[in-house]
Order: sequence, then structure tokens, then C-alpha cells
Amino acid sequence: MIGTGDSTGRRAGLSAILLCLAALAAAALAGCGGASEPEESPEAGEGSGTLEVRADGEERARDGFVSKDGWALDFEHVYVTFSGVTAYQSDPPYTPEDGENVQAAEEVSFEEERTVDLAQGDDAETSVPVAEDDEAPAGHYNALYWRMAPASGGPAGDASLLLAGTAEKDGEAVEFELSVDREYEYYCGEYVGEERKGILEDSGEAELEATFHFDHLFGDETSDDPGLNEAALGFEPLAEAAEDGRIAASMDELRELLPEEDYEKLEGELPTLGHVGEGHCYEANSGATG
Amino acid sequence: MKTSRTARGTAEARLGRAVARLAGFVAGVVGALLLLPSGAAAHGVVLDHRPVEGVEVRAAFDTGEVMDEAQVSVFAPEDASEPWETGTTDERGRYLFVPDASRPGTWTVQVRQAGHGSIVNVTVEEDAGVTGADGFSGGGYGALQIGLMAAAGVWGFVGTALFFMRKK
Repeated sequence: MIGTGDSTGRRAGLSAILLCLAALAAAALAGCGGASEPEESPEAGEGSGTLEVRADGEERARDGFVSKDGWALDFEHVYVTFSGVTAYQSDPPYTPEDGENVQAAEEVSFEEERTVDLAQGDDAETSVPVAEDDEAPAGHYNALYWRMAPASGGPAGDASLLLAGTAEKDGEAVEFELSVDREYEYYCGEYVGEERKGILEDSGEAELEATFHFDHLFGDETSDDPGLNEAALGFEPLAEAAEDGRIAASMDELRELLPEEDYEKLEGELPTLGHVGEGHCYEANSGATG
Repeated sequence: MKTSRTARGTAEARLGRAVARLAGFVAGVVGALLLLPSGAAAHGVVLDHRPVEGVEVRAAFDTGEVMDEAQVSVFAPEDASEPWETGTTDERGRYLFVPDASRPGTWTVQVRQAGHGSIVNVTVEEDAGVTGADGFSGGGYGALQIGLMAAAGVWGFVGTALFFMRKK
């Protein structure tokens, strides 16, 4: 009886302990359930993967758009010539206010020149490839540099930027071929858009994007940004300079063809074309941030 | 000896059963609290406040026009892919957030509106004294936290009782 009473009491105590432990464990588990550990970003230098740099002229380059002065622009070709493309893991993160000073923990450079046609993207693949490295160090590539320099041949001739297409307004059509043979150097921070880009994990893939905003040059009828349209050249000055419905000109020729004020607008807006998504860049030759 | 051993055994058995009943009750209460949705029993409103160290982001176009109702994504250090917090700026283009001080480093804030956007990086020091959503005193505990505190307190009593009833 004694043994029975003793063991019953101890068993009951043991059961109580187990019950409490179970309750506490359940409470602890439930309490921790909502606090999952964050997924850590790859550290610089831990493995490597494939880093691709792409270029995008947005829908405006692919599908055309209406300029601020009502000209419907349709591009046959938008050739951009890249060289010296460099992707950085910048620490601290680069901003256009830093000018040419990118403090890179890691960088991947692509020295070769490449001309791409931004008018050739489609809905499935809106951007076009510029460069790729399949052994890029893992990490977060949060800054991008490229030089848009005169081509050494190929479809763009000697242009860093060649815009070819047709503009239409009120039944009038103008064929244009604008050959920009100036050099521009863009220093850009992190891509700004729907998703973050440039996060490369070991054995993974990541991409960066050089984006070109052609509404800076021609304005956009649908834009709700009056400042942008005010600064833009539009297309009317080019249409007025056209002969027999066609204008084909280099920058030097445009300087002669356009009124001084309009040429200055063109010259002032070209350095602001380069972006990273919606993020702005610093253009080193003009000092402009656009 | 036999008599006193029997008496001690009976007392121990009673104490054991009492402890078992008490622990069973506590476990039941904790279990019930776990099953309750948080705040299910709350009808009143409890307000509390505390000073915190936060970050205010102000967004405007370079023309000076305020970016109101702009989309904001806040990314914590070491987690670049998924936003830690999202929201929109107020009518004055402002967005306020309190970073988790347990995650020091560079916090990234992205603001976007109508095809325009920018990023600002904010450094949070380890000893910034900024805390996240917890840290309020009183009133802010949910049923789960109350249950855990009750269980922890009672566990102390159970442990003490078991200490005295252990076999010598």
C-alpha cells in the first residue's frame, strides 16, 4: 500500500511534469512560428554564378510612342554601342551623387565593344543581352557602369546611338536617321523596379539592366511630368529640318540644321538617357544626373 | 517506523496528486489560451506608447513636387530579395519606419511612382536603441504570451514541490 501510494504520487507528479513540458513546448513552438529566420543574401566572395548585363529601351523603343508635340514615333532600329561595361558590388552602396567614385568590394568588367538594337525586344523578352560572365563572384551587384561610345563599325557605323524610324503626324510622315557620335559614360546605382536585380548566389543567375528613357529626348504626350516634357526636344524641330520627308544627320549636322535653343536641348538631354530601371545615373562627361 | 513511513507516504501521495491536479489545470489553461485566436476575448482597447528611434523618408521629384501615395519597399540587411516592409508615402511624401535594431547594417528603402523611382540606404548601428514591434510594457501581451508567463510561474511552484517530495 505504501509502495502503491508512493509510486502513484510520483507517477502523478511525473505526468504533471510531462504535461507542463508539453504545454510549454507547444507554447514555445507556437510563439516562434511567426518569426522565421530571414533568408540571408549571398556574401561577397562565397562562390560564383552567372551574371548577365542586359539593355532595355522600354516599350517606347520597341513599340513606339507619341512625342510631346504629337508625332507618332516608330523605331526601326535603336542601336546603342556599349563598351567597358562594369558591374560592381559597391560598399557602401553607390548613388549618382557619388559621381565617379564607386567603392567596389567586387567588380566584373566586360571590355569588349557590343552594339545592340533596343527596338528588337518583344513582349516575351523585353531586353536584349549585352554581356555575360558565368564565373562572376557571388554577391549583390548594386552598381553598374557603361560607356556609350562611337562604334568601330557594324550596323551603327560610327554612332554611339543611332535612332532610325518614321514619325507621323496629321497625315505627314518623316523618315529619320539620327546618328549620335558623342561619348557618354554612365555611373549608376542599384536597379529600381518591380524586383531587385543583381543578387547573385553561388551557382545561381542574376542580371543587371541598362535602361534608356527616350521620353527624355522626345517628350511623351501621355506623360504627367511637365518638367520632363519641358526639357525634351520633341520631334517638331526635326520635322521642320527634314527635306522631302526625310532627315538623316549626325550631331555636327544637327547643330547646323536646328535652331540653337533646340540643339542645346538635344545636347542637354542625351546624357540623361541612361538609367537602371527607374533609377537615375551620373553621366561623367557632362556631369548630368538624369 | 512503519507508521511514520506510511504517514509520510500518504502525505507524499496527496501532495503528488495535488501537484498533478494543479499542473493539469495549468496545462489546460495554457492549452485553452493557445487555441484561442489572439484578442478573441478582448473587448476593450489598451493603448500604450514608447519613444522609438525611427527613420523618416521624404520623397519628391527633382522639380520639388511631392511624391504622395508612392510605393515604398523597405529591405533589411542580409535579405535583399524580399521586402521587410511595404507601404505608401503620405500626402507630404513621407514614410516612417522603425528598423529592427537586432539587424544592424544597411537598410535599403526604394520609393517608386509612375515610372520614376529612387533608392536610399540607411545605416542602422548595432547599439542604435531602436527596437521592432515588441518592447511595450503591459497591455500589449497576447493570450499566448500570458499563457507562457503563467506556465513559467507555475512551473516554479511545481519544481519546488517536486524538490521536497524527492526520495531521500
